Amino acid sequence: MKDHLPRSRTTAGGVFRSLGLIALALLLATAVGVAGYLLVRLLAPEAPAFVGIPIGTVALVLVLRYIARRFAWIMPWYYLLPAIVFLLTFTFFPVVLTIGLAFTDYAGVRNGELNVSSETPIVAIDGERLQIANPGTLDCRSLRDGCNGVRAVVYASGEVTLPAESLDGTTLVLGEEPPAGRTVVGVELDMPDLGFAATLRVVEQDGPVLTLERQPPFPPDLTSVGVVLDRQAIRRTIVAEEGDRLTLDAPLPEDVEAVSIARYNDFGFVGWRNFRRILASAPRALVPVFGWNISFAFLTVLLNLAAGVFIAVLLNNKALRFRNLYRTLLIIPWALPSVITIQVWKGFLNQNFGAINRVLALLDISPEPINWLLGDATAARAAVILVNLWLGLPFMMTATLGALSAIPDDVYEAARIDGASAWQAFWSVTGPLLRTALVPITLSSFAFNFNNFNVIFLLTDGGPPVPWGTATARGTDILISWAYNEAFRSQGGYAYGFGSAISLIIFVITLGVSLMNFRVTGALKEEARA
Amino acid sequence: MIAGKRVHYLSMAVVALLAALGVYLLASTAPEPVMRGRMLVIPGAWWRFLGMFVLVTGGLALCAYLYGLATRPLRAWRYAVTASTHIFIWLVILAVFYPVVYLLSVSFNRNDTLAGALPREGNLLVRSGVFPNPADLSVVQYLKVLRETHLLPLHWLLVAVLVTAILVVLGTALLPRFGFRSARLERVRGLAGWTVFGSAALLVLSVGPGQFYGVSADGRRLPASIGGMVPLYIRNTLLVSGTTGVLAVLLSTTAGYAFSRMRFQGRYTTLLTFVFVQMFPTFMALVAIFYLMSRLDLLNTFTGLILAYSGGAIAFSSWIFKGYLDSLTPSLEEQAMVDGATRWGAFWRVILPISVPMLLFIFLNQFIGTYSEFILANTLLVGQERWTVGIGLRNFTTNQFATQWGAMAASAVLGSVPILAIFYSFQDALTGQFTAGSVKG
Repeated sequence: MKDHLPRSRTTAGGVFRSLGLIALALLLATAVGVAGYLLVRLLAPEAPAFVGIPIGTVALVLVLRYIARRFAWIMPWYYLLPAIVFLLTFTFFPVVLTIGLAFTDYAGVRNGELNVSSETPIVAIDGERLQIANPGTLDCRSLRDGCNGVRAVVYASGEVTLPAESLDGTTLVLGEEPPAGRTVVGVELDMPDLGFAATLRVVEQDGPVLTLERQPPFPPDLTSVGVVLDRQAIRRTIVAEEGDRLTLDAPLPEDVEAVSIARYNDFGFVGWRNFRRILASAPRALVPVFGWNISFAFLTVLLNLAAGVFIAVLLNNKALRFRNLYRTLLIIPWALPSVITIQVWKGFLNQNFGAINRVLALLDISPEPINWLLGDATAARAAVILVNLWLGLPFMMTATLGALSAIPDDVYEAARIDGASAWQAFWSVTGPLLRTALVPITLSSFAFNFNNFNVIFLLTDGGPPVPWGTATARGTDILISWAYNEAFRSQGGYAYGFGSAISLIIFVITLGVSLMNFRVTGALKEEARA
Repeated sequence: MIAGKRVHYLSMAVVALLAALGVYLLASTAPEPVMRGRMLVIPGAWWRFLGMFVLVTGGLALCAYLYGLATRPLRAWRYAVTASTHIFIWLVILAVFYPVVYLLSVSFNRNDTLAGALPREGNLLVRSGVFPNPADLSVVQYLKVLRETHLLPLHWLLVAVLVTAILVVLGTALLPRFGFRSARLERVRGLAGWTVFGSAALLVLSVGPGQFYGVSADGRRLPASIGGMVPLYIRNTLLVSGTTGVLAVLLSTTAGYAFSRMRFQGRYTTLLTFVFVQMFPTFMALVAIFYLMSRLDLLNTFTGLILAYSGGAIAFSSWIFKGYLDSLTPSLEEQAMVDGATRWGAFWRVILPISVPMLLFIFLNQFIGTYSEFILANTLLVGQERWTVGIGLRNFTTNQFATQWGAMAASAVLGSVPILAIFYSFQDALTGQFTAGSVKG
């Protein structure tokens, strides 16, 4: 098949050359973006990290213009570029990152940030060896391997005592330079006439010459001036830890007086540990959750499909009056945002006051009010599947109606001429044709419901707790809600890495279903030839 | 033959009479409702109900069959099937609509609590609590939700424009049914439609958290209550969904165009990757997204959430747009390019203008999908003034659910209205893609 338009016949570049050029441009842009961010942070230390993105974008545009002039055949890739960049950043990269994080112990207590509450005073220093006041405050137990290999910040003293030369109005000249690279924030002047010291803010500093915020009220003692410096943070890594003694990777600078140390909530690579944990808890978590996950998706698809096909076949009767009205009315659960309706269902399913139990009671169907959401797992599971039927029926009905209307009338005509009864025509014409059309829809519906977090989380919240489960894997938890509980809730201990490991399992399963869908639908066969 | 017809009509009357008698007997012999625990129960009602249903359906089907015998004997059974189909469909409609109607009546009810004793007055449905008491009809729940929204004059102006435009759209959509039809009417309708979009967008953009506060008795500002924040949540959701929709359109059109109109090495592989990627919902890489956003300082920002959504939006939208362009003939572009337009010029001036309906569809489809998204929003948005409507409603169901049932119902109705309106306005376009052969389910 040839190109539709004359100009892009010059598609001389291979895939790898094109992608390579684009990758080069992206890499360059990223580098410029990072450099720009660092530069901005030098000027404005508070700048957020995403300021690098616009800078990188500008660089990207310039580089791309240059490449387009040199290699005209790259043009089609430029049309794809915005989409590719976003796909790479927000879909592909997270997937790769998930794989990476699944092998780490990234968690709420090991989130990579500085742990401010771990700051503890330093008692003694000897080169790179420190003695700290309280190992309990530093709290290395929550980390993987104690404090070994953990990044830390050593805070240097905020005050030095220096002699001063002169004081003239608000200008104070020190006898020595204050420590290099530090900012003087204030001076503490001892006033013998007054009997106590006053602290004055320094508004300007030029070497040893300081400008004070105001003139001291009484002549101060200039032989020793307390110079208040901004707190200095020195980055180090703890390489060994023994009781209250720590060893750093490098000695601290001579001229500072280290006063305290705080550690980072470091996380790191743990190999297969997350997966071993999943396997170890499999009888109580993975197996029941997976089993319910599969049966939930399967039953939902089966029920929705059966009900949807049945109603669609009824509505497909062209002689039926009001069929368009019926279709419009029945579509309403689809037209309402499910994130809202599911939560409203929670009220309907309330044990004592919910509408559903009241209807069941009025008709004398259930002798006792059913505790749908908080009772035993079976009721909660039934509730999830029934609500999902209500939600999913319109979609299946519409899909089937679409498939039915795609079957041309002359097929039925031919069947009738061949002497088939209406029933026979339905079974041997409609049935097979419908099946071909519905298989891809069924498969993708299965993939969707396999990860249907909303209906589980918003209706039952994964509950009720069951004796065979755990705190994070309860009666109606599916894999994705289990992963969510592990990663983002307190009962799971914010174990992000562990959650990623579960996500990875879901990836593999979804991949399987999607591959099957590809094979069945042959969605791209036509394109492969083009 | 005429005698036969008479027999048929006579049997119809007999069948109808017998069915009515049966229904009457079943209904009149039913025992008085009794209280069992908190519930009102009619003992043995289910088999009576079933019996009545069978009698009505069967009777009607039989009558239809007899009527068919009398009029078109060969198709008589079809009459029976059609009659029972109608009854069955109405039963399904009843079941599907019950929650919707119940929700609406709760939201218009003075009673704000899910708990409480059943009313002693009223008909059976009210006394059993199957429907809220219509005697308590009130808009107090809506007032409770809207009371703490303080719009500025500019916002009121936009609201006025929006309402007027909606009325114009409705009016111009209804007029053709009464025989008024003209090209100008169509143009006015199109203009009003875009005005709806524009004023809604401006309204959403201009309203902010500052407009939501309570006022104490002595005139001081108080933080808004749970219910009072709901309009803000709806605004947030509209903002996020709208921006994601626009982004999906912006990012996918050029890609769809390249896939459809250009032939280059690696096209098939890339297409395959796109289709494959869209089968993985973004939230599966939840932890990674969270990590990425925390590193980019984008946690608890709309920007971060929108970027996270956009990744998932592109692949599907590009695929849809490619399919749309495939169905268009390239002659228009060829014409433009023969006349000296560049490729980009042809895309920009020829393709985009004629694709407006498709772009609108991509936008709306993404908009509706994003509106119902919960897990990513719940993970990335922490601050209450940034919540989306799903998270806001969850605050009801986890905290004061039993006592704020009415306010929650009103919030649910308010939150559903935009999507409901969009869905039914563009019903055919939005449901049409799910016919045979489409990729997504």
